[in-house]
Amino acid sequence: METNDGDEQLSRIFREVLQAELQEPAPSRLKARLYSALVRAQQETGPLQSLTKSEAAGRGLCVFEKLVQIAPIGEKAKSPFFCWACHARILAEEMEDAPIFWTNCPYAEFQKR
Amino acid sequence: METQILSKADANAADDIRLVSQVLNKDRKATAEFVERYTDCVYSYVRWRVMPQADAVEDLVQEVFLAAWHSLENFRGESDLRHWLLGIARHKIEDYYRKRLREPEVPNEIDQDPSEQAVIPALEAQLDHRSSLEKTHRVLARLPEIYSLVLLWRYLEQRSTREMAQLTGRTEKAIERLLARARDRFRKEWENGD
Repeated sequence: METNDGDEQLSRIFREVLQAELQEPAPSRLKARLYSALVRAQQETGPLQSLTKSEAAGRGLCVFEKLVQIAPIGEKAKSPFFCWACHARILAEEMEDAPIFWTNCPYAEFQKR
Repeated sequence: METQILSKADANAADDIRLVSQVLNKDRKATAEFVERYTDCVYSYVRWRVMPQADAVEDLVQEVFLAAWHSLENFRGESDLRHWLLGIARHKIEDYYRKRLREPEVPNEIDQDPSEQAVIPALEAQLDHRSSLEKTHRVLARLPEIYSLVLLWRYLEQRSTREMAQLTGRTEKAIERLLARARDRFRKEWENGD
């Protein structure tokens, strides 16, 4: 066990750091990247839940997802991660305060503080 | 009052279970909610512990979330989701410290003895918490990485030198020497101010 003065003083300083530890908002770009990475990881073990089921669970769809959801295509075709091809994802992953304003777009939601 | 607190805790637990279930069902919208709800706390936790190595923070946060996804089916709601995630973050940070301190790269001054007993001036007593916090981080950011990490591991994570030695494969004596030099350098940088 270290007992020198430097050890004790540093213990005190770092205790203060812990006490003062403040929650700081993560960069929106990080949230966007995390979301994309998680959805890609989810896809590795099979298709995503279809947009129809997400909407039935009370989740809002963005305008592009809504178009896919009402399209006369099978449920399986409604499962891919459409955001992958969307400019909103690309902008949100690369910049803070990205100019995207689509309602129910997760990447736009991440910009809100 | 107690009933109200209990029922709020129950509601939070039920909410966590609901969200986890939806994420496990690969509901992308629930996944977005999961990210939105928990990234700030994981980011803050990691940032304060790794901050001098700013480029490592985002990678570690991503590792935490991907590890969470891979073990989410084991989440039973015994602790709240925030603490469960912070538990994963703690392991990731520990892995990070361990890997970095195992690496042979050490500053040139490592072979020198600390010039004097590493006593930090009582300057921090004159600073408020926020200033002290900011100054501590500024000083840590100026240190060689191995010094800042060994100080964070010892004093923020409160690991003993014995544990640090076991986890890094170094001798306890080597860790103590490294800590002595890190303290010495921290003191000098603290005195130098900005």
